[in-house]
Amino acid sequence: MATVINPRGQQYVDLLDRVWGERRGLVGWLTTTDHKRIGIMYFFTALAFFGAGGVEALLIRTQLFGPHGHVLSPAAYDQVFTMHGITMIFLFVIPMTTGAFGNYLLPLMIGARDMAFPRMNALSYWIYLASGIFIYIALAQGHAPNAGWFDYVPLASKTYNPSINIDFYGWGLIFNGISSTAASINFIVTIFKLRAPGMSLNRMPLFCYAFLAVSFALLFALPSLSVACLFLELDRQLGFHFYDASHGGNPLLWQNLFWIFGHPEVYIIILPAFGIATSIIPAFSHRKMVFFPLVALAEILVAFLGFGVWVHHMFTVGYATVTTIYFAAASLIIVIPSAIQLFAWITTIMTGTPQFKTPMLFIIGFIVFFIIGGLSGVTLAAIPFDQQVHDSYYVIAHFHFVIFGAAVFPILGGMYFWFPKVTGKLYHEGVGKLSFWATFVGTLVTFFPMHILGLMGMVRRNYTYPPGLGFSTLNALETVAAYVLAAGLLMIVLNLAISYFKGPAAGNDPFEGDTLEWSTGSPPPPYNYAVIPTVTSPYPMWDKQDRELDNKRLERGEGVLALGHRTPGTTVQDARLDEILNMPPHSIWPPVTALGLAGIFAMLLLGHLFIAAGFAAVIALTLIGWHHHGVQP
Amino acid sequence: MSAVPGQPIERDSPAGAVRLAHRRRAQPNGWWGMALFLCSEVTIFGTMIATYFYLEFGVHHWPPRGIAAEKVAAPAIATGALVATSVLVWFAARAARAGARGIVLWSVGLAFVVQAAYLGVQVALMSHDLEHFSPRGTAYGSIYYTLLGTHHAHVLVGCLLDLTVLWFVARKGLTNYWLTATRNLALYWYVINTLAVLVLLTQLSPSL
Repeated sequence: MATVINPRGQQYVDLLDRVWGERRGLVGWLTTTDHKRIGIMYFFTALAFFGAGGVEALLIRTQLFGPHGHVLSPAAYDQVFTMHGITMIFLFVIPMTTGAFGNYLLPLMIGARDMAFPRMNALSYWIYLASGIFIYIALAQGHAPNAGWFDYVPLASKTYNPSINIDFYGWGLIFNGISSTAASINFIVTIFKLRAPGMSLNRMPLFCYAFLAVSFALLFALPSLSVACLFLELDRQLGFHFYDASHGGNPLLWQNLFWIFGHPEVYIIILPAFGIATSIIPAFSHRKMVFFPLVALAEILVAFLGFGVWVHHMFTVGYATVTTIYFAAASLIIVIPSAIQLFAWITTIMTGTPQFKTPMLFIIGFIVFFIIGGLSGVTLAAIPFDQQVHDSYYVIAHFHFVIFGAAVFPILGGMYFWFPKVTGKLYHEGVGKLSFWATFVGTLVTFFPMHILGLMGMVRRNYTYPPGLGFSTLNALETVAAYVLAAGLLMIVLNLAISYFKGPAAGNDPFEGDTLEWSTGSPPPPYNYAVIPTVTSPYPMWDKQDRELDNKRLERGEGVLALGHRTPGTTVQDARLDEILNMPPHSIWPPVTALGLAGIFAMLLLGHLFIAAGFAAVIALTLIGWHHHGVQP
Repeated sequence: MSAVPGQPIERDSPAGAVRLAHRRRAQPNGWWGMALFLCSEVTIFGTMIATYFYLEFGVHHWPPRGIAAEKVAAPAIATGALVATSVLVWFAARAARAGARGIVLWSVGLAFVVQAAYLGVQVALMSHDLEHFSPRGTAYGSIYYTLLGTHHAHVLVGCLLDLTVLWFVARKGLTNYWLTATRNLALYWYVINTLAVLVLLTQLSPSL
C-alpha cells in the first residue's frame, strides 16, 4: 500500500519540497549530493562503459569467427581483450551494482533521506568517471593496457612492455580504487547509522545485507590491488625491483597480491546480484524469503570466505601440494553458503505463487546460469582438473557464466524491476520477455560451447587459430550467438528508453514489492519520504498498519523533519533514534576534488612527480574549503 | 520530534555539541567513517609488511650482502616519542567532549610539534640510509623505502590534519563538526602510532 498524502499532510510536503528543492540544469547535476541523482549518473556512465565493453566483446568474437581472422591485429587484439576485462569489471559491473543500484535504492530501502556522507558520495562518482576516462584515453591513443585484465608480470614489466600501456592500467586502477573505497565506507556507515528507527539489523532487507557484505569485501580487498599496482609502477617508472627475480624480487608476488584482491572481487561482483534476486523473488512469488537469517548469514559468509581462496587461481605455479590442497578445500567450502542461497531462492519460488514477469524471468535465468557456473567452478577447485584446463576456454566459459550470467542477469532484471520506481513509467512486458529470451539464448550459446573448446585445447587470449583443429564450427556458433545476445541487450535499452517517453504511469507500487522504496512516489521526491517510515519487520511494505500509521503521523507533522536537510541517525544494532542529522544540500567541492585527483594521476602517469605534488597541495586546499562549509558529521 | 537530542540548532553551538556528545548512544557517523578508512589503511600496511617478509623468505641473505642491518637506537627512540603523542591526542579528544577548547588546542599543538619533529628525524634517517643503499639496487631496498615512505606519508597527512583541526577549532570553536573531527584526529593517531611500531619492528627485524 502506498503512502497517500492527505490535505493536512500536504503543508508539510510543500515545506519539504521547498527545503529539498534541487538546483536545475547542468549546475544541478554537477553539484548534486542527492543519492538518487548520483545513482542515475552512475547508471548512465556504467551503461556507456557497458556499451564500450560490449563492442570490445563483439570485436573479439568477430575476430574468432573463423580461422585466421584478420579483423584485429595481434597487438590490437591484446588491447581489446584487456580493455574488455577492465571495463566490464571495474567500469561496469561494480559501478552499476554498488554505484547505481546501491546508491539509488539503499537509502530508500532503509528509510533514510540520503547516504551518510552525501558529498563523499558525489566525490566517489566523479572519481569513478574521471578514472574511466583516464583509462579510455589510453585506448583512444592506441596505448591501452595489453597484458590481460590481471596484468601478470613479467609480461607487464618495463622490460617486456616498455610503452605507456601498462602505466594506464597501474595508475588507472589505483585511481578507480579510491572511488570504490570511499563508496564502500559510505555504504557501511549508511547501513549502520541511517536506518529508519525500528529497522533493527534483523529487520533489514536482504538487499542491504548483500551490500553490507560487498562493502566490507571492497574495503579489505582493494588495498591489495592498490599496493600491487603501486609496486608495479615503482618498478616500471623508478626502477624498483618488487617483481624482478634478478634483484631479489618475485613475479609471484604480483599474482598473490592481485588474486588476494581478485577472488573477493568475484564475490564483490556477484553479491549485489544476490541482493537484487532476494528483492525480486519475494515480490513476484508473493511470499517472504524462506530461511531469512540463513540467507543473510550466507551473504556475509560468502564475502568472508572469498578472502581465503585466492591460490586456486595459481594452481599451476608450482606451489607445494599441501598449500594447494588447503585452497582447494577452502574453495569447495564456499559451495555451502552459495547453496543455502540457491535453495532459499528456489524454495521461495516453489512454495509461493510465482508470477513470471520480465524481472522474474531474468532471475530464473540467473539461477540457471549460477548453477552452470557454480558447477564448473567446483570442477576448477579440483587441482588436477584445474591444471589440465588452466588458461583454456573452459575457464572463460566458467567465469562468464558466473560474471555475466549470474551477475549481469540480475542487473538486467533489476533494471526492469525498479524502472517504474525511478521513472514513474511501466515498461512493455511483451518486449521485456522477448529481450529476456534473446539474452538468455544468446548467453547460453555464446558461452556454453567454450567449455567444449577449452576441453579440446583452445587456449584463451590467442588472437586466432588455424583450421583443422575442430575449433571453427563452435567459434562461429558462439560469434553468431554473441550478436543475438547484443540484440537482446539493445532490445532492453530500447524498451526502457521508449517506455520512459511513452509508457503508462506506474504508480507507487506496481509489483506489490515488500521493501520501503515502494511506499514513496515514483520517481521519489528529493527527500525520499515525507515522514520517516515506521518499521516493524523486514517486509515493511506488507505491514499495512505501519503505512497507515505513517499517513497519520504525516497529518500530525510527526517525523517530518522539514526544517532543513534532515534525517534521523540511529543506533547500529537496534536502530533506536539517537540524533537528527543535518545533511549537506549541494556542493561544488566533490567534482573539483576529483579533477585535482585526475591531475595527480595524469602527472604520475607522465612521470612529473613534482607537478603531481603540486596537484596534491591544491587538493589539500580544496579540502579546507570543503570543511569550511562543513555540516555536522 | 522536537524533544529529540541533536537538533541542528543545538549541534552548531559548542555547549550543545558537548551535550550531544554525552547523550549519543552510538558513535557519530564521522567517527565510523574514520574508523573504516583506517581499516583500509591498516590493510595497506599489512600488505606491505607481508610483502617484506614474503620477499625475505625468497632469498638467502636479508638484507642482501653489502647492506648493514639497521641500527636500533635512533628509530626506536623516535618511534617512542611518536607513540607518546597518543596520550596528547587522547587528552585532546577527552577535552573536546568536555568542551574545553583551550586544552584541545594545547594538546593538539604539542602533539603536532612532536609529530613534526619525528617526521623530520625520520626523513634525516632515511636520507642517511639512501647514502648506503638505494631502492633501485635490490628488492630489499625497494620494500624498505616503500614501507617507510608510506608510513612517513601517513605521518605527514596526520600533521596536516593537526593543523586543520587547530585552525578550525581556534576559529569556529568546538561545534559538533569539529568536536567529532578532534575525536577522529585522535583515532587516526592511535592507529598510525600503532602502525609505526609495526613498521619499526619490520624495519629492525634483521637486527633483532
